[in-house]
Amino acid sequence: MSPDILEEAMEVWFGPQHVSAHGWATKLTLVGDYVVECDPNAGYFHRSAEKVLEFKNFRQGSLVLERMCMLEAFLAEYPYIAAVEKISEVEVPERAKVMRTIMMELSRLHSIQFWWGQFNAELGFFTMALWPWVDREYTLDAFEELTGSRHTVSYSTPGGVKYDFSDKFMKQLNRAVERFEDRLPKFRDMQMGSPTFRARTENIGLYDVKQGLKWGLSGPPIKACGVPMDLRKDDPDSNLAYDMVDWEVPITENPEHPSQSDALDRMEQRFKEAEVAVEIIKQLIPQIPEGDIIDPKARAKTNRLPEGEAYGRVEGTRGITSLWLKTQDKAQTAYRAKIRGPCIASYYALKDLVPGSKFADFIVIFGSLDPYPGWWDR
Amino acid sequence: MSDSSTINASTFGRLVINKIPEVSSKPLDGNKIELVVPASRIRDVVTIIDEEINDALPESVFGVDLENDNYELIYIFWSHNNRLLVQLRVSLQGENPEIESTCDIFPGLEWHEREVREMFGVNITNHPDPRLLLLPDELEGVYPLRKRFQTDQSRLEETGISTPKPRATSGGEDK
Amino acid sequence: MGGVMLQFDFFAWLAGIPQWLEGVFYWIWGIIKGVLLWIWAFIQHLWITIFDPINFMFLFRAVLFPGLIFVVMALIWAVWFTRKLWGRIQDRRGPVHLGKYGGLQLFADAIKLIAKESIIPDNAKRWMFRFLPGLLLVIVLLPFCFIPWDFDYWYIADLSVSLVLVFAFLTAVPVIALLAGWVSGSKYSLIGGFRAANNQFAAEIPMIISTIGPALLAGSLSLMGIAQAQQSVWFAALLPINLATFLVAAIASVGIFPFDAPVADSEIIFGWRTEFTGIYFTLTYFAEFAEQMLYSALIVALFLGGPVGLPFLPGAVNFIIKFIITFFFFVLVSSSFQRLRQDQIVHYCWKYLLPLALLNVIIAMLAIVYLPGLAALLPMGGG
Repeated sequence: MSPDILEEAMEVWFGPQHVSAHGWATKLTLVGDYVVECDPNAGYFHRSAEKVLEFKNFRQGSLVLERMCMLEAFLAEYPYIAAVEKISEVEVPERAKVMRTIMMELSRLHSIQFWWGQFNAELGFFTMALWPWVDREYTLDAFEELTGSRHTVSYSTPGGVKYDFSDKFMKQLNRAVERFEDRLPKFRDMQMGSPTFRARTENIGLYDVKQGLKWGLSGPPIKACGVPMDLRKDDPDSNLAYDMVDWEVPITENPEHPSQSDALDRMEQRFKEAEVAVEIIKQLIPQIPEGDIIDPKARAKTNRLPEGEAYGRVEGTRGITSLWLKTQDKAQTAYRAKIRGPCIASYYALKDLVPGSKFADFIVIFGSLDPYPGWWDR
Repeated sequence: MSDSSTINASTFGRLVINKIPEVSSKPLDGNKIELVVPASRIRDVVTIIDEEINDALPESVFGVDLENDNYELIYIFWSHNNRLLVQLRVSLQGENPEIESTCDIFPGLEWHEREVREMFGVNITNHPDPRLLLLPDELEGVYPLRKRFQTDQSRLEETGISTPKPRATSGGEDK
Repeated sequence: MGGVMLQFDFFAWLAGIPQWLEGVFYWIWGIIKGVLLWIWAFIQHLWITIFDPINFMFLFRAVLFPGLIFVVMALIWAVWFTRKLWGRIQDRRGPVHLGKYGGLQLFADAIKLIAKESIIPDNAKRWMFRFLPGLLLVIVLLPFCFIPWDFDYWYIADLSVSLVLVFAFLTAVPVIALLAGWVSGSKYSLIGGFRAANNQFAAEIPMIISTIGPALLAGSLSLMGIAQAQQSVWFAALLPINLATFLVAAIASVGIFPFDAPVADSEIIFGWRTEFTGIYFTLTYFAEFAEQMLYSALIVALFLGGPVGLPFLPGAVNFIIKFIITFFFFVLVSSSFQRLRQDQIVHYCWKYLLPLALLNVIIAMLAIVYLPGLAALLPMGGG
């Protein structure tokens, strides 16, 4: 950049106190209406979760994880549980596997409904912001019926799950899923057919899939480029029931820019993910086997763990969410637990993706990558 | 576009060891390989990963504090086309050990390396942006994730919570 | 013996003192009487100004109906209506707790906001910061004087160029927005102020051209004249495109969705209104709704016939019914679209709105000349 451009530049902190900054502070350098430099600053949300996990026993640790991202609570708490189950020798009953899978997909649905409304609110489309949130209320009713709380659910535990499905819950689950399925086509038409929406999101935030992988992006931002990268199929977990279902990984291919994705593609991608989640839930509901919901010796086996290292991963709503666990022999807490959240790459990518676009596009790019500070700042 | 054949874990392990004999490997279950890499050869190994696996996703870099100034850095890479997970383990010794940065090969590791530096005190050289990532300025140089860092529990009685149980019976000093 | 012979006779002077005092007394009394008479004449003049029947009815019209109190009450109603309508569009209910159907919610909000502490940032220019919101509200409320609520009696004023005067007032509003953004002393307010000026640049010209159509057909520049010229046919039937372009340009001029960029909630926090708190926020908030109401009233007067309507209802009631319907459409249109980017606003306004507005004016002009039946419907050369 030549010095005279920098002299007219204005530095604006899209700072921690901002309606749509979600708790991150980005320093933007503006020349006129264009962003020339973007400097993301994380750390305003840091809660030292990794150190805290060294003081929690193996049944409490998943609660720390779940507070990293409460929107996808069932998905967020799973990596820790997967890692503990690998080191200890618990056996998860079949019923628990299916129940876990159903709730994880419902959680994914909830997270997408939340993101959809939030993204629209950031774009200024308050009508379309509140319609998915009405459906979200039904999903949250189902969560509350099952676990007693809407967001901080703490449902899975090493060895199984804690609460059983009741009839009232099954009714609410069916209601939530049917209502969403019924209204999704109308909402989708209204959203994608709106010319102002297309004008705001088309060709905004374009990146190539190879570039995205180098940044560390995973999940919907990569699937929107046409690459079916999904941990549920690539690295199937034996304690979940995805192999009982007949489903395909949803991808979005845009012939105008193959292997690239813009904000519109990412929106379309998340609709498809929601449809697949609903499909999985509907196929699993009639297949729930009878039996225990938790290994009867789970508590005894997870009091003290042998020495070992394990890496638990799950395909979260935003990408690969994982936890690397190291335990020492007969320890009651983790020795080192490393949480890897998918939003690290989303926020990092802004550094290269935003310069050159207008100020008003910053929020579109930022929102379309589905950021959530809890996952990176931990 | 992917290679004509997918690489599996043992093939990849052999490939790396053929090129760089100082590396040793440990198989993990599933299609995963762990390579133990000396600190001086980390850039070569990461370059091989970049060249051989064309859709490598840098998942993370993080540190582990084994006491007495022994540290380990773990690099994790995932490839979708090959369904392959590569885990690199680097052992470091010293009060402030040094290692070269690899974030020009994989930009996604840049912030992970910043975090390792501020949490563990591992000096990552040639890093384009060595600022603090998550910690506030007062905690620079404190390296909180080291085991010898004691969390401040001086006001625990005021909160009404009892001392946290259970505590790790080994690893770190007891208060 | 000698000495100077005194010209002055001491005893004569002494004998003349009471007379002198009397003269002084009468002089003071004359002054007091003059002042009292003057005050009395002034009070009489004031009394006549207020309570003389013609003047009293004028004051009644100016203050109560359709003047200040009516407009303020209509403003409160408009905000309530907007919130309920937005609520229903968004699948929720809007305010329900205070008063039946949430009617008292606005009063509660106004009281709460006025009672809040007004925080003035250090970087702001204090007196301008305090002055501008009030000025904004006054400027937006003033053109309501010229709206032709009724033909015969229930209107406040009618100038022969009232259309031009109304737009002169409305052009000042974005300038005040720009000023407000600048005196707030923060970068986000500045950006918002620039965007407001940009909106004006984009939208004022199509709007004013859209009003040339009715003025042309009515042959007069006064709002009353334009409303009177629609006795036989409403201009909405003759100039439908102008109605649409005026509506869109009015939405852009107010700064409401989808042309919301000056006050973009999620990008620049609240644009040029960011730093206003407490009473200043109330004033700017109501000014936005007052502008929307003003544009609705203008649409009714210019295109929908004003007080012309159902013959068994008084003109003012006709006007109000049409005004409610127009306001409803205003809110409905603005909540169906999302925010456009600033350069897209300029692009759409200049590329699409302006040619459409011009097109309709040209068609109207040609139609007047070449279609004899049309000229018979309109009072040409009058007003």
